[in-house]
Amino acid sequence: MRYVDEYRDPALARGLAAEIGSLVTPGETVRVMEVCGGHTHTIYRHGLEELLPPEVELVHGPGCPVCVIPMGRVDDAIAIAESDGVVLATFGDMLRVPGGRGSLLEANARGADVRMVYSPLDALGLARREPDRHVCFFAIGFETTAPATAITLLRARAERVPNFSVFCNHVLIEPPLRAILETPGLRVDAFIGPGHVSTVIGTDAYRFIPEEFGRPLVVSAFEPVDLLQSIAMLLRQRVEGRCEVENQYTRVVRAEGNTRALAAVAEAMEPRADFEWRGLGVLPGSALQVRDELADFDAERLFALPGARIEDPKACRCGEVLTGQIKPWECGVFGTACTPERPLGTCMVSSEGACAAFFSYGRLRQPREAATVGA
Amino acid sequence: MTIDAVRCVTCGDVAVAARVRSVDGVEAVVEVGHAVERVAVDLVPDARPGDVLLCHAGIALERLDSETEA
Repeated sequence: MRYVDEYRDPALARGLAAEIGSLVTPGETVRVMEVCGGHTHTIYRHGLEELLPPEVELVHGPGCPVCVIPMGRVDDAIAIAESDGVVLATFGDMLRVPGGRGSLLEANARGADVRMVYSPLDALGLARREPDRHVCFFAIGFETTAPATAITLLRARAERVPNFSVFCNHVLIEPPLRAILETPGLRVDAFIGPGHVSTVIGTDAYRFIPEEFGRPLVVSAFEPVDLLQSIAMLLRQRVEGRCEVENQYTRVVRAEGNTRALAAVAEAMEPRADFEWRGLGVLPGSALQVRDELADFDAERLFALPGARIEDPKACRCGEVLTGQIKPWECGVFGTACTPERPLGTCMVSSEGACAAFFSYGRLRQPREAATVGA
Repeated sequence: MTIDAVRCVTCGDVAVAARVRSVDGVEAVVEVGHAVERVAVDLVPDARPGDVLLCHAGIALERLDSETEA
């Protein structure tokens, strides 16, 4: 398949791995955080860490929207789903995220009408087809997904669909990056930026990272060759004494992003005062809410929501995994009390969560570390 | 080769390249591998048959490489 096969070429990957080896200083560790869950998945699935010299350490960041949703918001979604005459529609992975009262899938088993969709536009289609029910779309995702929700809201208003709303949980990429960069004792030297988020917001949106925090960032696509090339670009910056934002994903990402997408999001949504993130706490201006002009489609105004803050289970160390302080296997419940079949923490739910990705593809590779944790 | 079926489009920041078969207003019919889907083209309003679009959650986000396939 074009745009896939050429970026999985083993000869190209081996060449890039050799180049990376030539760009490191023996004994000097460079810690590179991949912000995006899609990159984490590629790294584990294709065994990229095996190709890298020991001087390059990959740290898995907070870029999985499922993993950062706090349990209280899941309970709010369950409250909507259990309201009379309501269909709650959302993406598949949200169905399994545990809240304080179980998951949406369990609510579905108790009788709530919860349905999986691939697009918010599909949820709007459900509302058109089932006028006797209210369809609420449980919206999650970074800037990549927010335009789809925005277009759906704007279409719902234009078509005057009376039985549709959005429970908006869209989050923004800059605030968590700032929170990580402001963490005392930060041990991340360079960043791999998310590819498709950057299609929307553009590479200029990351200039604060080199300018304010002195770390380079390379926006990267998602195939193995893309990621290896991005790591080589970051290391080349170090060797040449540069610190800037570079774009590896030139086949689709522009400096200014997609201005039409940004305008659609700005028309339908606005930043919240603050939003709670799993692992990072409450971050100001870090999420979007439905604008007043579209209040008729805002589930937070249409439904009475519990709005409770729920502590994560004590044994779960998702927060430390999300901020790169520990590796998945260093959590005491990893692979025992917490598995993809019965996740305790959100990092084990989505296949892009660092724990689930490591459980699926990497755990057999780390017998020494795993044994140490169990000791 | 197919796009990974196990991945969550949102969490993985996943978008797929799809070739436009036809356009009708703000909707386009696109080919993704061997499948045919409808996507919204509000954000790429000048999309036309043959274009390769980057699609995510039912909408086209961008045109790939500004390139048109025959």
